[in-house]
Amino acid sequence: MIYLDNAATTYPKPLEVMNAVQIAVRKYGANPGRSGHRMSMDSAMEIYDCRKRAARFFNASGPENVVFTLNCTHALNIVLKGLLKPGDHVVTSCLEHNAVMRPLQNLSDKGISYTCAKVFPGDHTATVNAFRDALRENTKLIVCTVASNVWGIRLPVERIAALGTEYGIPMLVDAAQGAGVVPIDVQDSGIAYLCVAGHKGLYGPMGTGMLITEKGEQLDTIVEGGTGTDSIRLTQPDTLPERFESGTPNMPGIAGLNAGLSFVEHKGVTTIFRHEMELMQKLYDKLSQMDTIELYTQRPDECYYVPLVSFNVQGKDSETVAAYLNQNEIAVRPGLHCAPAAHQFLGTLERGAVRVCPSAFTNSNDIGALLAVLLKIIVK
Amino acid sequence: MDQNMIIVSSITMAMKGRDILFNQGIRAYVERTPQRYNGGRGCSYSIYVPSRSDEAAMVINDNGIKILGRYEKENAL
Repeated sequence: MIYLDNAATTYPKPLEVMNAVQIAVRKYGANPGRSGHRMSMDSAMEIYDCRKRAARFFNASGPENVVFTLNCTHALNIVLKGLLKPGDHVVTSCLEHNAVMRPLQNLSDKGISYTCAKVFPGDHTATVNAFRDALRENTKLIVCTVASNVWGIRLPVERIAALGTEYGIPMLVDAAQGAGVVPIDVQDSGIAYLCVAGHKGLYGPMGTGMLITEKGEQLDTIVEGGTGTDSIRLTQPDTLPERFESGTPNMPGIAGLNAGLSFVEHKGVTTIFRHEMELMQKLYDKLSQMDTIELYTQRPDECYYVPLVSFNVQGKDSETVAAYLNQNEIAVRPGLHCAPAAHQFLGTLERGAVRVCPSAFTNSNDIGALLAVLLKIIVK
Repeated sequence: MDQNMIIVSSITMAMKGRDILFNQGIRAYVERTPQRYNGGRGCSYSIYVPSRSDEAAMVINDNGIKILGRYEKENAL
């Protein structure tokens, strides 16, 4: 199968990731951070090693500022539900995934309001101004994605974080589509809360995510339980990362994530980005020459897009096109991609779109094969 | 008496402290804190520093790791 659904989760995983998971299951069978025997300590060391690597990767100030979560959605919920109080206001973008929109909608029932700032593809200054215009006296948080999971449109998160700093408002970033694809420096950018999927651009196994923050002590918890520390107390520890890591962690997943981070570090974020962007530019150029293909964005470039192209075939719904591609051993994702707001933005809420997203393992033959099958669909 | 066991808040901070000490040329190891030394906190981890423990405590403190207590390591059983 030619797998072009890497925005959902990357596949295949690097060999070193598969090996790390297998080794973890075989060798590190004890519960990390719970006991003092050798296998438990080895297991804890593997987790700590991943914390260190992730802290270095995103330039966090220390490994304790890396909290392991189930996924990016979990991390976003920790911040949104741990920080916001009735009467607070949030500014977000018009391109957000339901990982942001559904918690915000839920919180709106509790007296927390939000405004969706318009994004101007290809004009970062206009986007930043839209965020500025959406701020209110009671705005307590700015939250937005690094890039739309539907259209690949990038948001100027560093500039929006600077805007937040100017007004004393913390910035929460959904880096599900950005981590491992574009460089992110939490200290330099002033991002207060960075939420990351471990299984996408970082090539870890599914069931891994991270919240990277120095401000975790300011958040209420949404899950409490055993942390292997301060057990006598019935209240949750204040200290990171334990405050948000109750219960046994996904040790094999974190070992795989550690190997995935190492893979990306060695390849280089910029190298991977350029490789994928070249493929998507090639795809876009070919698609734009086909009369019956509907494209919704400008040709992707490094400044304004991440490597991802969504389209439709005239007269056919996105599910039909994806099903035909699947019959021809090509995996893409149709429909709404859990992001109705992004589809509303470009007028595809009714039809959805066919999304193509490459990985470090995708090559030009894969894109050529996709185009060949699309040609068959068009003449049908 | 050499208080060569330094109690910290978690295994993460113990491992971080050990790394910092190693980078300063001070040997250090992460161990469980015996119950009688953990101040009634329940589960806890310490950094064992066989030598230069006072200097180690200062280094740890200077690097922002909160020290919850110190004690002398006992021989096992």
